[in-house]
Amino acid sequence: MIEFSDVSKIYDNDIVLKDISFTINKGDLAFVTGPSGVGKTTLLKLIYAGAIPDEGNITVAGWEIRKLQQRTIPYLRRHVGVVFQDFRLLNNKNVFDNVALALRIHNMHPKEIRDDVNAVLKDVKLQHKSHSFPDHLSGGEQQRVVIARAMVSKPTVLLADEPTGNLDSANSKIIMDLFKEINARGTTVLIATHNESLFQQSGRRVIYLKDSSIEMEISK
Amino acid sequence: MRVLLYSIQSALKNIWAEKWINLLTTLSVGIGLLILSAFITVSLNMDSVLKKWSRSFGIVVYLDDQISAEATGTVRDLFKQDADIMEVNYISEDEALSELRDILGADASILDDLEQNPLPSSFELKLKSSLLEPVFVKKKAETIVKMPGVADVQYGEKWLASLNTVSRIMKASTIFLGGAIFIAIIFITYNTIKIFFYRRKEEIETLKLLGATKSFIRLPFLLEGLVLGVIGGIIGSLTLYGIHSLIVAKSIDFMPSVRAIIISIPDEIFLSVPFVGAFMSFIGSFIAVGKIRY
Ligand SMILES: Nc1ncnc2c1ncn2[C@@H]1O[C@H](COP(=O)(O)OP(=O)(O)O)[C@@H](O)[C@H]1O
Ligand SMILES: [Mg+2]
Repeated sequence: MIEFSDVSKIYDNDIVLKDISFTINKGDLAFVTGPSGVGKTTLLKLIYAGAIPDEGNITVAGWEIRKLQQRTIPYLRRHVGVVFQDFRLLNNKNVFDNVALALRIHNMHPKEIRDDVNAVLKDVKLQHKSHSFPDHLSGGEQQRVVIARAMVSKPTVLLADEPTGNLDSANSKIIMDLFKEINARGTTVLIATHNESLFQQSGRRVIYLKDSSIEMEISK
Repeated sequence: MRVLLYSIQSALKNIWAEKWINLLTTLSVGIGLLILSAFITVSLNMDSVLKKWSRSFGIVVYLDDQISAEATGTVRDLFKQDADIMEVNYISEDEALSELRDILGADASILDDLEQNPLPSSFELKLKSSLLEPVFVKKKAETIVKMPGVADVQYGEKWLASLNTVSRIMKASTIFLGGAIFIAIIFITYNTIKIFFYRRKEEIETLKLLGATKSFIRLPFLLEGLVLGVIGGIIGSLTLYGIHSLIVAKSIDFMPSVRAIIISIPDEIFLSVPFVGAFMSFIGSFIAVGKIRY
């Protein structure tokens, strides 16, 4: 589903990722980890064409990232749901509209949008906050809105960047359970985190980054 | 289609969210269009006045003193065949004399002493109004004066020249002013839309990351420009209407004669101003939107 082969990314003469190769299969729930600044966010960006690799090839859900044109990038992104580290919620739109945005760009029928958004808000237990604005929500709630937005379009791949970054362990568990459920429904999930407790004893696949390359992979 | 509906919704929301900038923009657009439409109105009216005047413009062709009726007929036929000439009026010696009598009025008695009519017979020609151009008329007069049986040709040369200058100045300034306002309105909307762009940079970036296409992102901005132009146009149109009604109402009391000149504003102007505004603003936002890096 996601395949990196000898991928390198350089920012301003600074090698952020070097010769990265790995494969994540359809239906996997995997983790990318490593110290802060090692390139986890960059690795996710490469997957949704938020950054372009300097070397190597990346294939995501059948799309070859290097061959994408500006024009076709939107269509890749519709298959890749992203839970951004900085959320990227629009503060002038309420929870419902923030989530609905991911469907409106698909030119979907308003009634379908309403049904799907309400269903996904129920999944993340936020149906009662549908009309609230993001800045009136707690960190954990905001995180769930972002997850709802990422999953509402039923993407093939879901990426999450430090999804438990600012959350206590109770909230972290809620979030992790959500990802497991999304994964159980068939979506391939890749989570970037520096929090080892998320994957310890999970038996899931983990990609360790160190000094811009893959140090080791732990498989189940 | 649904994208269009959503874009319209989103454009209207955004317009409301930025109401102060938009108020300023629509007022500027409105004032620009008001000036333009007022000027066009004035110049249209001037033009119709000039046309009215030029309709009275005639070339007088004096015939030789002893010209035969046959020769007069030949000259008349030549004039009638000339496509440039709209109207041919023959004024016989006697008619000329009686006209002169009318002009002299009480003093007409001095004419009684004349043994014979000293006035020549003449043709009064009206040229097509589109041909009332000094150089052309002059050439025409020179050709006519060479015709057999023609003694002299007279026309208001200076008058025609100044009429022409006035109308040319009107036309040139309408085009100039129109162009200037056109550019100004485009520039105003361009700037406004660009400001919106920068303000919504985050939102645009998010939309892109969610997989929105270029057109989905651009459409609301284009529509915003369009709506601003229409509203500006309506403001301009209504203001023009108001000012016009006021002047008409006042001029009935004070100067009825002015009324005849300023009264007519074609309905087309009121109706077309919003469209013109929309068109200009659309161009402005189109240019602004084209600058989006994507
Ligand atoms: N857009 C960018 N321009 C320049 N340098 C960048 C950019 N994004 C990330 N970097 C650099 O790349 C390195 C890896 O960053 P990042 O992928 O965010 O790490 P992580 O997510 O693991 O903390 C950092 O040193 C960061 O400064
Ligand atoms: Mg990061």
